[in-house]
Amino acid sequence: MFGNKNNKKSGMNIIIVGCGKVGSALVERLAGEGHNITLIDKDAAKIQAVTNMYDVMGLVGNGGSYGVQVEAGIDTADLFIAVTDSDELNLLCCTVAKREGKCVTIARVHTPEYSKEAGFLKEKLGLEMIINPEYEAAKVMSRTLSLPMAEEVSSFAHGQVEMIKIRIPEGNTLDGMKIKDLGRDVTTNVVICAVEREGEVFIPSGMFILRAGDLISFVATRKDARGFLKKIGLKTGQIRDALIVGGGKDAYYLAEQLIRAGIEVSIIERNADKCEALSIMLPKAVIINDDGTNEEVLKEAGLHNIQAFIPLTGIDEENIILSLYAKRMSEAKVITRVSRNNFKSIVNTMDLGSVIFPKYVISDAIVAYVRARMNSMDCNIETLYHIFGSRAEAIEFMVENESAVTGKKLSDMKFKNNLRIAYIRRKNNIIFPGGDDEIHVGDSVMVVTTNTGFQDIQDILA
Amino acid sequence: MNSSMVRIILGHILKIEAGFLLLPCLVALIYGEKVGLIYLAVAAGSLIAGIIMSIAPAEDKTLFLKEGCVATALSWILMSIVGSLPFYISREIPRFVDACFETVSGFTTTGSSILSDIEGLTHASLFWRSATHWIGGMGVLVFLLSIVSLSGGSTINLMKAESPGPSVGKLVPKIKSTARNLYIIYAVITIIEMIMLMVGGCPAFDAITLAFGTAGTGGFAIKGDSVAGYSSYVQWVVTVFMILFGINFNAYYLILIKHIKEVFKIEEIKYYLLVILASTLIIFINIKDMFGSWTDAIRHSAFQVASIITTTGFATVDFDTWNTTCKMIIILLMFIGACAGSTGGGIKVSRFVIMGKTILKEINSFIHPKSIKKIIYDGKPAEHSMIRSVNVYMATYVLIMAASLILVSFNGEDLITTATSVITCMNNIGPGFAKLGPTCNFSFLSTFTKIVLMFDMLAGRLELFPLIILFHPKLLRDLAGGKRRQDI
Repeated sequence: MFGNKNNKKSGMNIIIVGCGKVGSALVERLAGEGHNITLIDKDAAKIQAVTNMYDVMGLVGNGGSYGVQVEAGIDTADLFIAVTDSDELNLLCCTVAKREGKCVTIARVHTPEYSKEAGFLKEKLGLEMIINPEYEAAKVMSRTLSLPMAEEVSSFAHGQVEMIKIRIPEGNTLDGMKIKDLGRDVTTNVVICAVEREGEVFIPSGMFILRAGDLISFVATRKDARGFLKKIGLKTGQIRDALIVGGGKDAYYLAEQLIRAGIEVSIIERNADKCEALSIMLPKAVIINDDGTNEEVLKEAGLHNIQAFIPLTGIDEENIILSLYAKRMSEAKVITRVSRNNFKSIVNTMDLGSVIFPKYVISDAIVAYVRARMNSMDCNIETLYHIFGSRAEAIEFMVENESAVTGKKLSDMKFKNNLRIAYIRRKNNIIFPGGDDEIHVGDSVMVVTTNTGFQDIQDILA
Repeated sequence: MNSSMVRIILGHILKIEAGFLLLPCLVALIYGEKVGLIYLAVAAGSLIAGIIMSIAPAEDKTLFLKEGCVATALSWILMSIVGSLPFYISREIPRFVDACFETVSGFTTTGSSILSDIEGLTHASLFWRSATHWIGGMGVLVFLLSIVSLSGGSTINLMKAESPGPSVGKLVPKIKSTARNLYIIYAVITIIEMIMLMVGGCPAFDAITLAFGTAGTGGFAIKGDSVAGYSSYVQWVVTVFMILFGINFNAYYLILIKHIKEVFKIEEIKYYLLVILASTLIIFINIKDMFGSWTDAIRHSAFQVASIITTTGFATVDFDTWNTTCKMIIILLMFIGACAGSTGGGIKVSRFVIMGKTILKEINSFIHPKSIKKIIYDGKPAEHSMIRSVNVYMATYVLIMAASLILVSFNGEDLITTATSVITCMNNIGPGFAKLGPTCNFSFLSTFTKIVLMFDMLAGRLELFPLIILFHPKLLRDLAGGKRRQDI
């Protein structure tokens, strides 16, 4: 009864150090999945606030201290996650934890200097995972910018497959089309996995009729996706230039990736010292030292003709206002980053272009890892994305052993409702499965579902 | 205010009480008493009411501190009323207010009785009286948390409202496991006591009821002379277990997970044991000539000290006949109470430790006015909010006590009876002095006085605020408003 057995029912013992935005997002997600979480932070008020809302134990203290870790139960911990604001402290926390416990350690490392050496740090310090929320968010943003007409682009199967979210415009060929007619009339290599209509998310069947204004997520290989979009009359061209407001870490990561893709980047930053540092790190970018929340400054920077606009100031409200303004004044592709999501219901109703919640981006990665660890040996979670504001999940499973789902025709199995097998990847071939296809050992299977919390490929069975 | 969540919790509490009410049915079955049918009927009624109340799910499952407090206070009132029904229906306690008093006294682990002829009760009712101690000792909401998963982590607010002490910590991350561990520790120690009592020749029924009374630090005995009639072995066992149940349960958990070193870091336990030792010694010196042998004297002094500081209220002798020094020590012990996080009542040793340290700090600041010194408690700097809550608690405690004293004085008893009636009820002890001494009972008091004392018992058990908050105009309005909305 007092044991800490690591079984499915009682969850894993997880210690999280740092109760900031990332820490509390992790608590929210992992506590929701039934794990035993101990949260450490120096700030008693923050601990108080989180422990009042979630079923976790709080501990006030320095997570890098051996004594505090012992008090938090490092000897029985399965997973140790350090996500304080300080990279050095995170690394120290994990090093101490590694010496003392038998747990898996994950550290947040986000300053560009260290993050370049992430691989080295991971190996030398014996960490299982290094996370960089700003870098991951920048990756999502740059992926979205690579296909500006899409709302969101996620990649699966090591970039071979993309899941793309688009809004069906008025008068499009898709308006009024049944999903099963898609193969006959447009293309066969595209699977529509999820549709959001009037705030509700559906996993559509073949009889589902698409309408203008629907947000659809479809899965296809990179090439086919672009072909499909061209065929239904959407532009797939790349952007030429981008304007970023705010010169924080995510702005740096984003600019770096955009420049590598050949996009001209301008960054407006208030703080002169930061500007100087950025100009050294990003010699190809235009760095403007001014207040990016000033209308005149934005005009001068050429907001009206810019093709992409990304406000990345430290304040959500500022970013939202800037996005609304840019949407009004220009044709630019706008990405809004919302760090805190206290008012998600409102944010979702506003015309903010693509909205990115960095804390989901990072907690997705960790949740995927945790669920995979929770599992028996027959399968593994390769990738996990929360789509449509975490109302649905897209999970890629690696099938490593025989189980109830292998070697049977899909049409012979009874699946849960609200679930769709998007593709099966077999030795780098992507199969968009029909009823006659089977899942084999060694395949990767991607599942899209509104049932959350799948840990194992067998969870798809009803 | 989330009144549907409060409704659901009250429904669950009724269901749990229905479950507990089956125990006296079982006893009645064994002894062939007809009163068991009444217990069965009340249990069935309570179950049905509970199911009806908790059937409609709540839209919003968040419990903030205010809902936690309101749900706790209402639960305690509701379960006291339901628990008193068998006494009243069976006419074993003919007046409703007396039946309520007896049940409130049971659940709050006070142990003040209005019964003059305890042995006249049926076995089932005697058992139920003692069982209320056991249920109330660790708290019924903690029990609820240990068996059902109310969604969300905000249920910590229920535990905060019910558990004694200035700050409530979890043993393990999940509230359900925390509550379950607490109850397992509680049950195991209770069973050990039962076995040890039976080994000493105590009849099984006596052993079970005595153990319930000790575990909840309650004090209802099944004999008119409390524990006086049992052998000295039984009295020693009860003494030791009373002291054990007055210790913070975190200590037992730490022992279980083999973190013995951390147990010694809990300052409260040190002071608690020190106070017991010192008081026993002083009383022993004062009473050693009253008994035949010094072993008797030391047994009686240790028993009385343990009984009063843990707020149990058993007695082996009539300590009302002792000299003033002894009586004074006993009254002071009544205020001190047991450790936080135990089943005992009173102000709690931890609050006194924190207050003592605050006073020392204040004195030092006269010598070095600009000096800065954080109060260290259990090896950690004490948060300002904790110190503030201790001070506010004390002030509120004094105010409620003063108001109760005035109200009870209308009853027209002498000073000592009036004063100790409030002291003993608010600290959940049981016996007082003069007309309320260990050999007397509370039945002669007026109905109004009994209601005031019932309020004091509940306020003392729930650490004042959950009960007082119930009278906050905004919450009253919310509660009424919530009901009205449901009517439409």
